[in-house]
Amino acid sequence: MRTGLRKWSLLLGAAAFFALPLTSWAQLSTADIASRDNMEAHIGNLTGHVNARSTYDYKRYCVSCHGDLGDGNGEVAQWLDPPMWPKPRDFQMGVFKCRSTLTGSLPTDEDLFDTIARGLDRSAMPQWSQFTKQQRADLVAYVKHFSPRFVTEKPGTPITIPPEPEVTPERIKAGREVFARVQCWKCHGVQGMANGPSASTLTDDLGRPIAPFNFTEGSRPKCGDTDRDIYKIFMTGLDGTPMPSFADNIKPDEAWDLVFYLRTFMQGASKAKELAKTMDLKPVNPNP
Amino acid sequence: MHVLSRSSLRKVVRSAISLVSFTLLLAPFVLISAKPAKAIPAFARKYGLRCSACHETWPILNNFGLKFRDNGYQIMNDRDAPIWQNPSYWPATFRMTPIWHRFSNLQAVDTYTGASTANPYGTQAVERITSSGVDLSGLDFHTGGTLYKNISFYLLPSSDPTGAFHFETVMTRFDNILGSSWLNIKVGRFELNNLLSEKRAVGLTADGGIYQTYHFIPVGDGNIFGQMGDNQLGIEYVGHSYNDRTRVSAALLDSNDGNVNLTLGANSYSGFFTFDQAVDAGKWDVQRLGAYAFVGQAATYYKTSGGVPIAGSGVGNKGFSRIGVTTQFYFGPHFDVNFVTQHGEDNAWFGQGYGNAVATDGDGGVTCTGPTATTPGCPPNNTPGTTLSALARAPSWNGYTIEARYVYSPTLIFLGRYEAERMQQQATIGTPQNIGNINLWDFIARWNPFMSNRAGMALQAEYTVMHQVGTGPTVGLTTANLNDNEILLGTDFDF
Amino acid sequence: MTRRYHFGAVLSAIVLLCCGALILGQKVNAAGEGSITGTVKLDGPAPHMRGIDMSKDPYCVKQHASNPAHLETWVVGSGGGVADTVLYLDGWSGAAQTETSVPVFDQKDCMYTPHVLALDTNQEFKVVTSDQTAHNIHPLPNPMINVGWNQSQPPGAPPVTKAWKNPEVIPVQCNIHPWMHGWFVVVKGPYAVSDDSGHYTINNVPPGSYTVKAWHEPDEAQTQKVTVAAGGSATADFTLKAK
Repeated sequence: MRTGLRKWSLLLGAAAFFALPLTSWAQLSTADIASRDNMEAHIGNLTGHVNARSTYDYKRYCVSCHGDLGDGNGEVAQWLDPPMWPKPRDFQMGVFKCRSTLTGSLPTDEDLFDTIARGLDRSAMPQWSQFTKQQRADLVAYVKHFSPRFVTEKPGTPITIPPEPEVTPERIKAGREVFARVQCWKCHGVQGMANGPSASTLTDDLGRPIAPFNFTEGSRPKCGDTDRDIYKIFMTGLDGTPMPSFADNIKPDEAWDLVFYLRTFMQGASKAKELAKTMDLKPVNPNP
Repeated sequence: MHVLSRSSLRKVVRSAISLVSFTLLLAPFVLISAKPAKAIPAFARKYGLRCSACHETWPILNNFGLKFRDNGYQIMNDRDAPIWQNPSYWPATFRMTPIWHRFSNLQAVDTYTGASTANPYGTQAVERITSSGVDLSGLDFHTGGTLYKNISFYLLPSSDPTGAFHFETVMTRFDNILGSSWLNIKVGRFELNNLLSEKRAVGLTADGGIYQTYHFIPVGDGNIFGQMGDNQLGIEYVGHSYNDRTRVSAALLDSNDGNVNLTLGANSYSGFFTFDQAVDAGKWDVQRLGAYAFVGQAATYYKTSGGVPIAGSGVGNKGFSRIGVTTQFYFGPHFDVNFVTQHGEDNAWFGQGYGNAVATDGDGGVTCTGPTATTPGCPPNNTPGTTLSALARAPSWNGYTIEARYVYSPTLIFLGRYEAERMQQQATIGTPQNIGNINLWDFIARWNPFMSNRAGMALQAEYTVMHQVGTGPTVGLTTANLNDNEILLGTDFDF
Repeated sequence: MTRRYHFGAVLSAIVLLCCGALILGQKVNAAGEGSITGTVKLDGPAPHMRGIDMSKDPYCVKQHASNPAHLETWVVGSGGGVADTVLYLDGWSGAAQTETSVPVFDQKDCMYTPHVLALDTNQEFKVVTSDQTAHNIHPLPNPMINVGWNQSQPPGAPPVTKAWKNPEVIPVQCNIHPWMHGWFVVVKGPYAVSDDSGHYTINNVPPGSYTVKAWHEPDEAQTQKVTVAAGGSATADFTLKAK
């Protein structure tokens, strides 16, 4: 048993080794990228442009990781070692983790706008919340102009999130059932500690090792820590990573139940956590 | 003695200037070592960001760098603790500043004409002395960063060019207490929460390298404290909104002017309070508006032993205050203007020179080795029975600093600064209104041939002119105005 | 291409499960159209296909209790015939879409059935799961060519119906069961996949001269020129070399 696991981890280690030198899918030319410099971003009543300001800001703040061509090959990318330090995003691919849209679709401008300010915890991506909203909107346009996908495709439609219901013990229990049924624990572990049976062999789309989210460490989920953010994360999936979309398999109402159950793992005060103290919540049984 | 009296005169004028620097009249570099800038390639290394992410041009912080600092040297991505770093990572950096400079000031010079036994040096005349040459500043050895999530430290042993070290900054921070960005505590010796940071000033000359507004004290004033530009010992509460738009701080400081071992007052404390608010001004960028108040007490009476003041025995606390507003206006990515005002007021006792009888460091003045009444240059002591002259009043003044920067790119910056210090009320009735007034101009061009996340190097050209009324050399009964100018061509390495 | 090679070389570890008809729903539907037929054989002995350790998931282990799983990189029949080779017409310039059937890609016993699914561009296919353990179906196209996605397939999950816009060899994986590895081979025009004995027949080929291309994982691609007469049948046999 153990030998087998080790063998697999060796195999995957080898996979990681071979895949690492390849940090991007394709390499677009400067001219190709420049052909999209009329790209716009629309956030509320703000319009972002590829302009002197966003070019300046990109070069000042973003380029060291994401690179001049937006391919994630900035000068420090070589020093970022997944899974502890995920590699910078390759904007040319047009694949983004944090979306309000379904898997396989482009994020909305708002999604990118929010990601810039929120940052991506457990990575080298800081929170760029000091920018003005206009600066961020311009940077969204700048990020988009690296990828031809933003010309050929429209962003997906944001998923509909029903209003958050009241937390009840019944809902938390129902959430536990969802957690068991769709088998979140395969990666995240039965107690949300990122120690599920498949946790150790996960790789991202480029074959680089990646770790599942540990709910118990007090760290923020990748794409935001509000209840709505958590709802969005598992319903839309984190594209480019092993985290799939569960939109086909979790109904909107159940999704809130699952959010509440996940909250019981997480640090920080929440009503779900308070309620859970009064309940006899046992971890789900992985092998019923 | 000549040198001593000069320094004694100037200490009260620009008390940030150390004794040493005046025994070595042409050694402005000592000042440089006394005001190290906090640019830390160690942070850039740690996070993979270029210096320019945090610095408008290093060492000046931009809003992102300010947020980083306010979060306790954390980018808040849950990877700040050193446990996440490669084991070989060590948060240390060196800064050194080899320079060529030319320093020109006025001196009272012996003439030797008609030398006689009674007057072997001849009479004196005011003459401009100009020196130039390649020089070396001290060495800053910065180490700082997180020890654990939300616990950080900063240690800055700073050396003068002769290798004599002092601790410029020693502090620990506890951030985001109870998970709130509004609860952060700093303990140790640290720079006050000045929006326009003197420790991050780009200037490298003696006069331009400090903000006069942060150090101004009326001529003859004895208040060792009230030095906003100096690092102070104390405990500081800092709070800020999550995105750092709103910042507030309150510091309780020993009235020791940053001197360890409690050399001054036994029970004198000061408080430094700041508030600032940034607003999103759309395409004009983020504008920040703030105010500060520095109020406190410092000792004026030291018990004596054989007439010699005893360190740490200070009592007879008298009050002082410094209040003002600070603004940071950004006009797009390339141009910004910083503005600081100050209204300062010292108690009349300080105005008459009381307060620093036991000061031992370069900032305060002379150590009294004999009875205060008889030691030349030794400040007066407010011993029992002392009364103030009827002409004594509380001195007050107003200061203005305006610093404009044109940031062509993160690696090329042009900076101009003008400072004006104006006496509002002299400490003694009859003193001319303008004695002590300062005008200072500082012009800087600074180019970084490279500035990576590993190291930075800057080439700097700087020209500084400083005038102060009534603090130049004294010949006979006439005291000239101080009139310095400096040219500096230097390199500034940080790695 | 390099990357596909890596995926093929390292991650593919799949057992041959069932040998149904792999040439999917093709029928002659126009007079005069011919076919290309042939056999794909392996030069040399069949490479040893290593067994798969599924101990990560007891359910998978149980499914293979009497039928040990092993890699499916090379599935070689008794006569040296190679299965799972995709045969198609290189440089097809005919109808935009010739295939309209909706093939099924099943997740069964923690393996993919079929291991290689050939598809026309824009041809819909259905991903289903027969397992009582959760999978995620995660195709990894080059984002510059096709748009990838990643969907969960817990037990009882409804089918996922998708299509690919552009020709591409797309690896597909399950992150939960890292040994699960298969291929979507998206081509333009008529195609066939060789069966267990290595036989294939490409139907619906209008008369004319063609270059037949044989693709086998991880990155084997051979070509042969053939001419198809009206209503006739041309032959193209291939001999592959295991790397």
